Amino acid sequence: MKTIKEINQKIKKGEAVIVRADEMPEIYEDNPKKAAKEVDIVTTGTFGAMCSSGVFLNFGHADPPIKITKLWLNDVEAYSGIAAVDAYIGATQLRKYRDSDYGGAHVIEDLVAGKEIELRAEAYGTDCYPKKKVETTVTIEDLNQAIMYNPRNIYQKYKAATNSSETLMKTYMGTLLPNKGNVSFAGVGELNPLVNDPDYDVIGVGTRIFIGGAKGFIVGEGTQHSPDTGAGNLSTRGDLKDMDPRYVRGCSIPGYGTSLYLGIGVPIPVLNEEIARKTAVKNVDVKTEIIDYGVSRLVRPVIGEVNYEQLFSGRIEVEGKKIRTSPLSSLKMTYHLLKELKELIEDKNFYLTGKVESIPRKGHARSMKLKKGTKTVKQVMTGEVITAKGDATIKEISALLINNHIDQIPIVDEVNKLQGIITSRDITTALARNINKMADVMTRDVITSDQNEAIDIVSRRMDKYKVDATPVVDKNSKVIGIITIADIMRRGGSG
Amino acid sequence: MSKYLLEYSSDVVGSPILSKVIVETGVLINVLRADIEHDKASIVVDIPHDEDRVINRFRGSGVTVRKLQENIKRDIENCIDCGACISLCPTEAIYFTEDWSIEVDKGECILCEACVLACPMKAMTIQEH
Repeated sequence: MKTIKEINQKIKKGEAVIVRADEMPEIYEDNPKKAAKEVDIVTTGTFGAMCSSGVFLNFGHADPPIKITKLWLNDVEAYSGIAAVDAYIGATQLRKYRDSDYGGAHVIEDLVAGKEIELRAEAYGTDCYPKKKVETTVTIEDLNQAIMYNPRNIYQKYKAATNSSETLMKTYMGTLLPNKGNVSFAGVGELNPLVNDPDYDVIGVGTRIFIGGAKGFIVGEGTQHSPDTGAGNLSTRGDLKDMDPRYVRGCSIPGYGTSLYLGIGVPIPVLNEEIARKTAVKNVDVKTEIIDYGVSRLVRPVIGEVNYEQLFSGRIEVEGKKIRTSPLSSLKMTYHLLKELKELIEDKNFYLTGKVESIPRKGHARSMKLKKGTKTVKQVMTGEVITAKGDATIKEISALLINNHIDQIPIVDEVNKLQGIITSRDITTALARNINKMADVMTRDVITSDQNEAIDIVSRRMDKYKVDATPVVDKNSKVIGIITIADIMRRGGSG
Repeated sequence: MSKYLLEYSSDVVGSPILSKVIVETGVLINVLRADIEHDKASIVVDIPHDEDRVINRFRGSGVTVRKLQENIKRDIENCIDCGACISLCPTEAIYFTEDWSIEVDKGECILCEACVLACPMKAMTIQEH
């Protein structure tokens, strides 16, 4: 048995024995008692995209004073509904609503790098705060405070992702190839702080950590903390002014948006044999599930279980097939920061703290309560579909379009199986290019939907593929309906 | 490895020129990438030997031939060595070294841009030599 006070005395004398989390298994297996006695600190950490991160900023008062109601930093909006000249810039806030690859995370990175940031602010003007507009530039030096305060970091576990659908998907879990062409995963396995302290024995409120290259603290459990399902996480705090740009990196995940790559190190004091045993965890013991992102629902199907040794090997076997893997967190950067943390402790610049309160060991996050359910395709689609056979002429199709006031006709075979689709635009194309055969202008690769899918999913698909309608088909590709943008606008609202 | 871009105009896109050149020259041309549409096509090939002879045959058949001087470049300042690109590379040209750094084997790269489009740090670019 050791105390944190004793370990800190050893640090002071330059006698503390510090090992990296991945070195601990061998030391422990060799002699558990000796490991617990001789090892003082196990360094753990992670370097990964942490979306739920942000910074509180205080700009100081203007003359005349302003009570800011809207604020932009390099055109990224920061929340300013806190007093007069305070704001919170979040990592995932984009410069524009969509299609921007610069966001809050980049503003944070630029602040740490000492760059000049354009500040634009608006206010309504009061007797005590008469100023209504500010346009200026600031650097981190100019700010009174820049405190990183992250609601949810250092997830204990994250599910790996694959995609069973037939098209490439761009997700927050990276780019997923069609037909389960790859698996991407987050996390650093045996190096992860909560993997080494799964019961929150030593990590708690007040634990000193190494965050973004600076000293910081664990503030408490993170939002969505779910220890019951092995998905606990932590809320963290650190002074942005002391941070190192190498460990605070804005990123833009294609098709998703911006996030913040952040390096966090957590030293675990080895107080007893029990803690020593837990820090001896190996990649092979750290398991996660592979989830199919090809299914766009909150609860996505699990298609297998893997451990981090398999994930880091570059290839895993899923349903008898070898699939290549991509990490999203950086092992190399994690090793870098763990080395730096060790050197800080050795140089007597970093002492450990004990927790002042425990992180909840029980509980799970609930899902959002929706007062109104989302409508399904079945509720919105047109069930009586006008279809045509493959041998119909362009003239016949044109007549069907006009007489029925519709813009598209699914082409089916004798048993109503979908063969293609033809739109009024295709007819125009046929006219313009002198094409006489309907089959030559018909689209064969049709975007379809299932009658039980949520409208939001189908809207997203129609938006992605730029189509105005999709035939609704059953398991045997038989056409049972059609859903158009107009149907969604008229009948698709929450019901 | 010598990589070439073959560009077919609408006049020649319907003809089996590639097959003809392979049969006539006996050179085993490797197709690295092909984008074929109804009115044009572009094909990236590796010509292992007799490059001049092969190129002349293509040119004689109305195909525009250009030697690819571009190469994939990894910006080491921006790259954080995560590996998001690794499983997307069709030729497995991107890999981890012993110390978990990302390395790109430029000889294996077919300039498909899968890594360029997927990199969260925009660290991958295709550049002229």
